[in-house]
Amino acid sequence: MLERSDWYDLARDTNWTPKYVPEEELFPEDYAGSRGIPEHIWATYDEPYKVTYREYVGMQREKDSGAYSVKAALERMDMYTSADPGWIATLKEHYGAVSVVEYNAALQNARLLRFGRAGGMRNMATFGMLDEVRHGQIQLYFAHEYVAKDRQFDWAHRSMNTNNWVTLAARRFFDDLMMTRNVIDTSLAMNFSFETGFTNLQFIGLASDATHAGDFKFAKLIQSIQSDEARHAQIGTPTLKILIEQGKKADAQRMVDISFWRSSRLFAILTGIPMDYYLPLDKREGSFKEFMQEWIVTQFTRSLEDLGLEKPWYWDIFMRDLDEHHHGQQLGTWSWRPTLWWSPAAGVSPDERDWLEEKYPGWNDTFGKCWDVITENARTGRFEKTVPGTLPVICNVSQNPIVGTPGKTLQDRQLTYNGRKYHFGSEVDQWIFEQDPQRYARHQSLVDRFLSGSIEPANLEGVLAYMGLGVISDGGQDAHDFSWATAKTTKTVKAA
Amino acid sequence: MALFPLVCNFEGDFVLKLLPVDTEQTMAEVGQAAAVNAVGIHVADQPGKTIYARKEGADSPFPLDMKLSDSGLEPMDCVKFYFV
Repeated sequence: MLERSDWYDLARDTNWTPKYVPEEELFPEDYAGSRGIPEHIWATYDEPYKVTYREYVGMQREKDSGAYSVKAALERMDMYTSADPGWIATLKEHYGAVSVVEYNAALQNARLLRFGRAGGMRNMATFGMLDEVRHGQIQLYFAHEYVAKDRQFDWAHRSMNTNNWVTLAARRFFDDLMMTRNVIDTSLAMNFSFETGFTNLQFIGLASDATHAGDFKFAKLIQSIQSDEARHAQIGTPTLKILIEQGKKADAQRMVDISFWRSSRLFAILTGIPMDYYLPLDKREGSFKEFMQEWIVTQFTRSLEDLGLEKPWYWDIFMRDLDEHHHGQQLGTWSWRPTLWWSPAAGVSPDERDWLEEKYPGWNDTFGKCWDVITENARTGRFEKTVPGTLPVICNVSQNPIVGTPGKTLQDRQLTYNGRKYHFGSEVDQWIFEQDPQRYARHQSLVDRFLSGSIEPANLEGVLAYMGLGVISDGGQDAHDFSWATAKTTKTVKAA
Repeated sequence: MALFPLVCNFEGDFVLKLLPVDTEQTMAEVGQAAAVNAVGIHVADQPGKTIYARKEGADSPFPLDMKLSDSGLEPMDCVKFYFV
């Protein structure tokens, strides 16, 4: 019997020679993104993970049986009833934002396996596609068991078919980088920047948090997904090598810079908020910033340097952002909680504030001042003042509310393009828009839709109905029913 | 009279907010409308002080008795509001 190494490359690179259509029709440039690099160069693409279908099926069978058997074994423990509401918020946010998107990721990989010029890429993308189908199925299935307990879990299935503002932001992100780019661009944007960098953060960080929170079922689920990510995330790396060798470094760097920033904005909400505010204080392993420093600042920059790329031009802005952006988004999401499909934890009891101040020096004098006002309203029963009566202004690239550090960095960046005014949450978002205005110009933010009359009646009730709140399930409430507002610090209790 | 949306950047707030006002309102009234969505919601009140408004990036505030329609502001321009 032949060793795999004796036949693998031959089997992988088996190609048809087209007779009835020219090659440029078989691989249209809009889909393939070959950039004029000839086939024999793409043939040098060498994937780091050499996997055969037989091996793949065996590995995946083991992963699935592991995750499903843990699920079955822990079913009777009823983790849900005893879990902290902050952890439940994390689960709802994650399932709603991630599950169905996995199927879109399967389509992205399917384009890679059809239009990728290199056999190695098509081989890896075949398994990547199957990975993503599995991720969609397993996360929808695990979320579905909770629907009977809490209708907000229904958003795992439904969120991406609504106009919820979080959905608009996530969908716009994935449409831009995953669904509408050619094979080469999306392999850099998603497989390299997004997956190599950020999904590690979401899945390793979240698996660790789940273990600490006692949710071993979710931990096992997430770990089984992360081990797939670690493999198919590598699809972009050999692409980068070829582009750099062929003198396309600036082109590749630009795509990495765009996708890295857009990913960082998305994960500030998806990962940053749960890590620093939702997870019970005694279960936290580290802060979001510390995770980012380990997984992004150290490891991702090493990946860039190994390949011969530079840090993105906005690196100083990114590093500053780690201290502030997710704090603003937490204040925003919690304040406009009726617009969420989960009930967010405030995470600002006295002890939690001490922790935030320790991890983010200066927090009490900036974001803490806003929470002071909110806490006083909650403490004195003025709950109606804890929900603003107007909408936040939305960035026309990230589709997130435009936030900043109170008294320091909050500002609007405007650009008029073809007679329409656009707003940006940062100079990087504006730079991304300016790279390809046509790509971004026609999309309407939630505020654009509100002002153009798409949302009726033009009030909070109309906005909620437009988003699907009150239809699929009720919107969010404070996860801990404001108990944090009257909580005492445990330090005082211990000292007494 | 016409509905006129502005972007509100209230000193001490963490987020830009949509501010629907009217072209006939004075800048003092616009300031009060901005306060409804910020002061006592996310920004602490400063009793006895007056709210001024200036276009974001400008050095000086609009006169309090100036009508919004005379301010030169365009819809969705960003206005900075602050206590003095």
